[in-house]
Amino acid sequence: MRRGFASNYRTAVIAAMIGLCFASIAVRLYYLHVLDRAQFLKMIEKARYAIDVENARRGDILDSRGNLLATSNSQVVLGVDPQAVQTEDEKKWPELSALIGVPLSDIQRIFLTKTRPPEIKSPAATAATAAAAATKPEAAADQKPVDVSVGPKFEFNLADDGSGKTTVPSEVLDDQLDENGQRPIRWAKLRDDLDESVYDQVMKLHIKGLYGNRVYRRAYPHNSLAAHVVGFVNHQNVPVMGIEKYANFYLAGHNGWVVTEVDGRRHELAQFRTREVDPVDGYNVVLSIDSVVQDIVEQELTYIGEHFKPLKATIIVMDARTGFILALGNYPTFNPNEYQKASIASLTDPAVSDVLEPGSTFKIVATSGALQEGLVNPETTFDCNDDTVVLDGKVRRLPRDDEHFDHRLTLREVLSHSSNRGAFRCAYLLGPQKFYDYAKKYGFGEYTHFALGPESRGVLIPPDKWDGLTFTRMPMGHSVSATPLQITYAMGVIASGGELLRPQVIQEIRDSHNEVVFRYGREVRRRVISRRTAETMAAMLNWVTVPGQGTAPAAAIPGFQVAGKTGTAEKIINGKYSRTKHVASFVGFFPASRPAIVMSVIVDQASANLPGGVAYGSIVSAPSFRHIGEKLIQYLNIKPVDETQRPPSLLALSSR
Amino acid sequence: MKHSEPHAFVNQLLVYTLAMIVTSGSVGLGAVWLRYQMAATANRIKQTEASISDCQRRLDETVTQIETEKSPDVLRHLNDDLHLGLVEPKEAQVNRVDEDVEARLAAKRNSDLLTESSPAFVVFNPQLAQPATPAQ
Repeated sequence: MRRGFASNYRTAVIAAMIGLCFASIAVRLYYLHVLDRAQFLKMIEKARYAIDVENARRGDILDSRGNLLATSNSQVVLGVDPQAVQTEDEKKWPELSALIGVPLSDIQRIFLTKTRPPEIKSPAATAATAAAAATKPEAAADQKPVDVSVGPKFEFNLADDGSGKTTVPSEVLDDQLDENGQRPIRWAKLRDDLDESVYDQVMKLHIKGLYGNRVYRRAYPHNSLAAHVVGFVNHQNVPVMGIEKYANFYLAGHNGWVVTEVDGRRHELAQFRTREVDPVDGYNVVLSIDSVVQDIVEQELTYIGEHFKPLKATIIVMDARTGFILALGNYPTFNPNEYQKASIASLTDPAVSDVLEPGSTFKIVATSGALQEGLVNPETTFDCNDDTVVLDGKVRRLPRDDEHFDHRLTLREVLSHSSNRGAFRCAYLLGPQKFYDYAKKYGFGEYTHFALGPESRGVLIPPDKWDGLTFTRMPMGHSVSATPLQITYAMGVIASGGELLRPQVIQEIRDSHNEVVFRYGREVRRRVISRRTAETMAAMLNWVTVPGQGTAPAAAIPGFQVAGKTGTAEKIINGKYSRTKHVASFVGFFPASRPAIVMSVIVDQASANLPGGVAYGSIVSAPSFRHIGEKLIQYLNIKPVDETQRPPSLLALSSR
Repeated sequence: MKHSEPHAFVNQLLVYTLAMIVTSGSVGLGAVWLRYQMAATANRIKQTEASISDCQRRLDETVTQIETEKSPDVLRHLNDDLHLGLVEPKEAQVNRVDEDVEARLAAKRNSDLLTESSPAFVVFNPQLAQPATPAQ
């Protein structure tokens, strides 16, 4: 009888072998799952799980006509893992050097430096500091960029992809010492601002270990246009100034993140993704700034800078009806794309940060206040040759006027000739407290809460702290200081029909699909004077630009009624009023009887091409007002007002 | 010949074991195939998402380039370089029109059509527009 394959002996052997196999597996499993469980779990979690941060795209900043003022561009932070570098790729390094613009010697050094000494602090910790700083913009703004160099010879940076946000941390491997007690470098940065097209060419070289991380970087297509309004975001992704900083809440968006698993070569296993949170792109911010108006203003500022060589200059153009700012420019300015090259002086925004004595432009406070209270009318006359007054039982000398008058001046002439004594007489009729109250109502000495900053409040001293001369000097715009923005909006009170408007520069907030999320509208802070008083003031201020009648014929625009006020304030140098250093200004609006535009041209310490050596507002600022005004009339299609439609009482006051 | 019972049982066990291995192997292979498909699909989704965001990035880059070319400084340089001689209009060159511009242009264009001396239609065929030549 033939027996089957499975004899008793063979069966026993097979059963024993199978049993042994199972036993060995059981033992191994026991070691893995019971004895060494904690150690292996830790290792697996570190090696297998990864959290990928997906950066949100920062929203755009647009002007009122939809032109991009700031946008986000994708760039590549290119780096290399020196541990993966192959010697056969060395022949490609010169080509790489030419493509990315890094010297070949630097590339060789970075590629061949595979470790660093163990005592050097992990750059991951430094990067974490940078990321923490990114969450505190104010603190980080004053700091220098975090230096993540770990030695004098090379730089490398694990976690910083340039976005200021932590990404996949590769410092785990880096922090473990190798057999020689050195820390292996797993990623060394070569360039942090590579364009996509260049990156494509770099990838075609197929250099092993070379790869890049995509990040969003801020770009300002119009360069320096509206630089002080738009501001900039630095390379650590921290908004430093302007709308970039103020509207960061809307612009920033929220990063997304994915918990995922990676294989042994650190490639993502997409099927094991869990907890996937999509990034939310930032909102777009639409400004009231008009690029064309802004360009007109900046061209004029360039002219002022070249011709008068001032310390600073500011031009603000606002919509008289709504208070929205159409253009705001400063000299000197800067290019936000190259903010590192900008001087500290150019990075401040004098329009809201600098305070200066408004000079004669402040005379509208006393005159309109007296008019509003019914203490005077346009035909009321003042003896402006009388140079003394008795205040609190003491004889005080009044500030002198630039010209001698052979007759008593009417209120209209006080404004058109810019009489210091006439302005004081109006303030005197009001009394110190009421005069102070009107100055306050005009917005002097208080924050405008404008979007751009840091804003200065200016100085307006209450009457109980005045010295003997303050009351005689303040009506002419001395002993008080204000920002160019405050001065502009004070004139805006008359242009808007007596209301103090809130200065605004953000018009709309839109989501990433361009749907309007929030729309800002005209905001009235308070009524200062009645509409009738404002119209009367406008008609009187119209005479300031009439040749032979006012101080600023250079501001007159043929065919249009221009109302405004010149200002020439002596600067305080070492505690004394300087005779040679002035702040020249012209603040006005047009058409006078139906204001569309309010504009201020303020030039600080013009020093060249000054007849007589004094930077009068009528010489320095008024012509620029006209140059800009003429262009705005064309661009904004501002039409002259039909005089026959005006009330006879105002028509009598009007210059033309 | 009749097989002994234990041997028959072992042979049967081996056959069943083999069958079980084949079955479980098939199930295992099926599971692996399924997982592979899941991985491939996930990768395809990931690649599609990556290509969409790549398109978006390149679109952003192009939009920025266009916007840069539209900036006033660049346009001024082009005006100079190409000798276009474009200048801003002066107020004196402007004729302000208060009424409706379209209606005004239409009235200006069609003013002749409604007069008695002119026909109230427009002839587009030049041959028809020529007056008939009288016979010699």
